[in-house]
Amino acid sequence: MARYYEIERTAWDKALIDLLSSFRVFAPILKGKTLDYQLIQEEHIPHIVYNIPKPVVPLKTFFLPIKENVVVYKKEEKPIIILGIPACDLSALDLLDKFFMTEVYNDHYYAGRREGSVLIGCDCHSANKHCHCTSYGLNPFPENNQDMTINMINGHAIISSFSMKGEELLSRILGMGLVIHTFDEVPERLTEIRLKVKRELEKANRLLPNYQETTDAVINSDKVIWEKYAKKCVSCGACATICPTCTCFLLIDRPGFEKVRQLDACQYPGFERTAGGENPLKKLEYRFKNRYLCKYLYRPEKFDAIACTGCGRCIEACIAKINKNELLIELTK
Amino acid sequence: MATRSENIYKPFKVTLEKVIEESPLIKTFVFVPEREFRFKTGEFIELTLDGIGEAPFTPSSSPLVTDRFDVTIMKAGYVTEKMHNLEPGAVLGVRGPFGRGYPIEDFVDKEILILSGGCGLAPIRSLLYMLIDMKDKLRKVVLCYGSKTPEDCIYKPLFSELNKINKFQTLRTVDLADQYWEEHVGVATVLLDHVEVDLAKAVGVVCGPPVMMKYGTLKLLEMGFPENLIYLSMEKNMSCGLGKCGRCMMGSYFVCRDGPVFTYDEVKGQPNIW
Repeated sequence: MARYYEIERTAWDKALIDLLSSFRVFAPILKGKTLDYQLIQEEHIPHIVYNIPKPVVPLKTFFLPIKENVVVYKKEEKPIIILGIPACDLSALDLLDKFFMTEVYNDHYYAGRREGSVLIGCDCHSANKHCHCTSYGLNPFPENNQDMTINMINGHAIISSFSMKGEELLSRILGMGLVIHTFDEVPERLTEIRLKVKRELEKANRLLPNYQETTDAVINSDKVIWEKYAKKCVSCGACATICPTCTCFLLIDRPGFEKVRQLDACQYPGFERTAGGENPLKKLEYRFKNRYLCKYLYRPEKFDAIACTGCGRCIEACIAKINKNELLIELTK
Repeated sequence: MATRSENIYKPFKVTLEKVIEESPLIKTFVFVPEREFRFKTGEFIELTLDGIGEAPFTPSSSPLVTDRFDVTIMKAGYVTEKMHNLEPGAVLGVRGPFGRGYPIEDFVDKEILILSGGCGLAPIRSLLYMLIDMKDKLRKVVLCYGSKTPEDCIYKPLFSELNKINKFQTLRTVDLADQYWEEHVGVATVLLDHVEVDLAKAVGVVCGPPVMMKYGTLKLLEMGFPENLIYLSMEKNMSCGLGKCGRCMMGSYFVCRDGPVFTYDEVKGQPNIW
């Protein structure tokens, strides 16, 4: 059982300054209306946003950059700390780790970055309009894949470690002699917040089918609904790009037998086209439905992990204003 | 196979030794690899034209030869068109082999009925070389091959070679015959009407353009072939070869890893297979 340590925010900020000497630290900062991860310098530390869902880009972008040369490997100069990760993005690693770090095939790039990162999760102390993690059996607080967690409540930070990497970092911070209180279990005020947010999410998504119901509904669906929603889709691929579990990519050749891996989307018309001109996903409605089949059937079946963590980013990113949840509710009516 | 220590995205080098014109659109390229190269029949490679692009091909030569291999390429797109302009001496890159090939150990004591069309004969030629090697353990091999015109018929010497081998039989058809053509006329599947097989001992192998794969499979089913003994070599957009890039997904299968050779019962429930 993890222990929880309470320290003052000013003390935590001081600890972060110390960590900047050995890590590159990324944390959510509000830019205009957008919350996004930023490489932290000392002056940014007071502006780090804690416990508010959710950075606009998913955690995957740290391990799967939009574009990278996969033949010429550039080693990162310092290990990184990613601070303020919501539970939905941490859960996405269940699938990504199984996908990229297998016995047969271990992706150097993904695995290297994953191993060189310390992940500090944050509970969600509120819910966004399209958040629906609880519908898929997840909680709005980190339970998997986090090395450490931090909760900022009334100017006090509550920190805890969940792995060897987290333990090392925590003991470095605690070594600075900052602790006000120690808890042997989840502090009561945190439990209260967790229950409140969970209830809020459950209420907001009471009509949304759960994962298995969604899988069954997608399998048994009539094509009419896909045609209806696909009519609005403009194949921009934003839903896939922003998805914490989408991994598909394109390989681009560069002189010197080098290859560049660039994130791609099955929503693009040429995604599965072969040189002979065959294209199983030629029709937009096929591509549109394919994404749902992939999320709710193909990936879970093959990797025994859910492929939608309910972050709702695809709904927010859709320029055609297609609401996946409305579609799924309609599908299960 | 990929291991933790090697970079699977980095091709090894091969030198083009010879180019054989098979038909107006199809050429066979003989490559000498910088190191010994082994593959199993039906597995595929990614062939890179430096800085231009990469495309998947199944070697068409015998897997028993490891200091050379053939790739038969149809001019079909940007990369293959550039490949058709190559001269001997050109250096290309290869990644692989990838995927799951033909389970030839399951062909022992069987009659093998092969239906192929167009450039789909390329992977089949590699399979045929293996079947020749193990012919004492086989009942018989029947190759049915269709092409558009007599001119489009590839590997012409192969047919006379096969016809000389005991237990091997070949049938050819063209969609459009010329005055010299003395064999069958019509789409590839018509050849199946002229074949005698003992269904209790037979397996079917289909490799060709999607439309032929579809009607060929339907015909084999109609003839009474069990779904799990019809082997299909699926053609999809295999790009990374590692089951990661997603471009060759066919339902929950990654064709590049789970295939490209599948039995019909494995793929029949998946969407848009042909």
